[in-house]
Amino acid sequence: MRSHSERLVMKIKLFLVTFLLSLLLTSCKSTVDISGHFPSPVIDQLPYSIGVIFNKEFSDYRYIEKGEKRKKWEISVGDAQVEMLNVVLKAMFLKMEVTPDFQNTSGNTLDLFFQPNLENFQYNVPYETKGNMFEVWLKYNMKVYDSQGQIIADWVLTAYGKTPSEFFQTQEEALNDAMVIALRDLGAGLSLKFTQVPEINKWLKMQEKSNKSSTELVQNNFVNRMVLGI
Amino acid sequence: MENKTMLFNAVLIVMLCFLFGCTSVTVDQVKHHQSELHLGDSIVVIGRRTGSDYETEADLISCIGSALSQTNEALNVIPENDFVDKLYPWFEARTAPIHVRDLNRLLSYDKISQIIDDYQVQYIVWVDGNTERTRSSGSISCGLSPTGGACFGFGTWDTKSEYEATIWDYKSRQLVGKVSSVADGTSYMPAIVIPIPIIAPVQRHACKTMANQLSEFFTIN
Repeated sequence: MRSHSERLVMKIKLFLVTFLLSLLLTSCKSTVDISGHFPSPVIDQLPYSIGVIFNKEFSDYRYIEKGEKRKKWEISVGDAQVEMLNVVLKAMFLKMEVTPDFQNTSGNTLDLFFQPNLENFQYNVPYETKGNMFEVWLKYNMKVYDSQGQIIADWVLTAYGKTPSEFFQTQEEALNDAMVIALRDLGAGLSLKFTQVPEINKWLKMQEKSNKSSTELVQNNFVNRMVLGI
Repeated sequence: MENKTMLFNAVLIVMLCFLFGCTSVTVDQVKHHQSELHLGDSIVVIGRRTGSDYETEADLISCIGSALSQTNEALNVIPENDFVDKLYPWFEARTAPIHVRDLNRLLSYDKISQIIDDYQVQYIVWVDGNTERTRSSGSISCGLSPTGGACFGFGTWDTKSEYEATIWDYKSRQLVGKVSSVADGTSYMPAIVIPIPIIAPVQRHACKTMANQLSEFFTIN
C-alpha cells in the first residue's frame, strides 16, 4: 500500500511528463528537404555547349519561416532545384557542364554560360487557401552570358505548384509534392520558352548566320581546292 | 439471456450499418461517336489541373485507372505518371492541350507523336473535378489529466465529389463523349471517451462508378 505522499509525487511526475510532451508537440517545427523525380524533357536539342554556374546561395537555398503567425517551416530547396536544372539543361544543350565561374573546367570552349537565381519563394498551407491546398510560387532571375562572360539575356521566370491536402498525408509530404510540381513547371517554362527570350533568339539567329557563312566558307574552300586541284 | 443476445446482435448490426457513412452517386454520360477498342489499344487517364481553386487529386486518377483495369482485363490502362513523365513537359498543368484540336499542334512534333504511338494510345481520358467538404457541424471536446484523457461530443460533415471525364479519340482527333460522376456523403464522428470516425467513402464511390461507366463506354472488339 503506497502512502499518500508517494501517490502525490507520482501524479506530479505524470503531469510533468504529459505537460512536457504536449509542449514538445506544439513547439515542433517542420523541416522539409525537397526531393522528387524530374524527367528529361522531350525537346529539340540546341547545338551549343553551356556552362552552368550554381552559386552557393542557389545550391544551398533554404527558406526559414520568420512570420510570427505562421508555423515554423524550414524548407531546403537547393538540392532539388539544382537536380532539376541539371536534367533539363542536359536535354536542352548538346553539352552541359557545371562550372564554378565563367571558366570551363574541361578545357573546351563553352558557347554560353547560364546562371540561375531564386529571387522569391512563397507558399501557402491549407488554412490560408480557399481550396484547402498547399501552394508554392517561385520567382527566378535567369542570366545567360556568352563565352567571354558578357551578358546576353536577363529575364524573370516564374513557376507555380499546388497539391490538395490528403487524409493520410503529412504536411511535409504535401508541401514537397507542391514544390516538385512547381519545379517541374519551372523546367517546362525554361525548356519551352528559352529560345523565345528575345535576346537569346537574336543570339541564336546570329550564330546560325555565322555557322551558315562559315559552312559556306568551308564549302567554298573545298570547291576552290577541288577546282585548283590542291 | 436470449433477449440480451438478441439485443447485442441488433446493436451490432446497427453499428455495422453505420460504420461507413451514407453515400449517394449520380452518373451521367454523353456519347458523340462510336468508341471501339481493338486488341493492343491503350487508354490513358490524366487529371486536368487547370482549376485555380481546386486540384484533381492524383490518387483519384490512379484509382480510376486501376479500377478500370479491374473491370475488364482486355483494357490496357497506362498509368498517368508514366505517360506524363515520358512526355514531359507537354502534359504539365500549364502546357497540356485544352481542346482536342490542340492535339494536332502537339502531334506535329514527331518526337511526341512517336512516343504516343509507341504506347498504342487510342483514347485519352481527361478527368476534371475534386472532392470537398461542403458542410460540417457539431463539436467534440477532449480533456487530458494525469489519470488519462477522454473525449466527448459528436461531429458530422458532408462531402461532395464531382468529376467529369472527357474522352478524346487520339487517332481521329475528336471528342468522343463525356462521363460525369457526382457523389454525396455524410460522415459522423461520435466521441464517448474515444472518437469513433464513421467515414463516408465518397471519393472512392465516385471513382468506382466513374470506372464502371467508362468501362461500359468502350466497346472492346
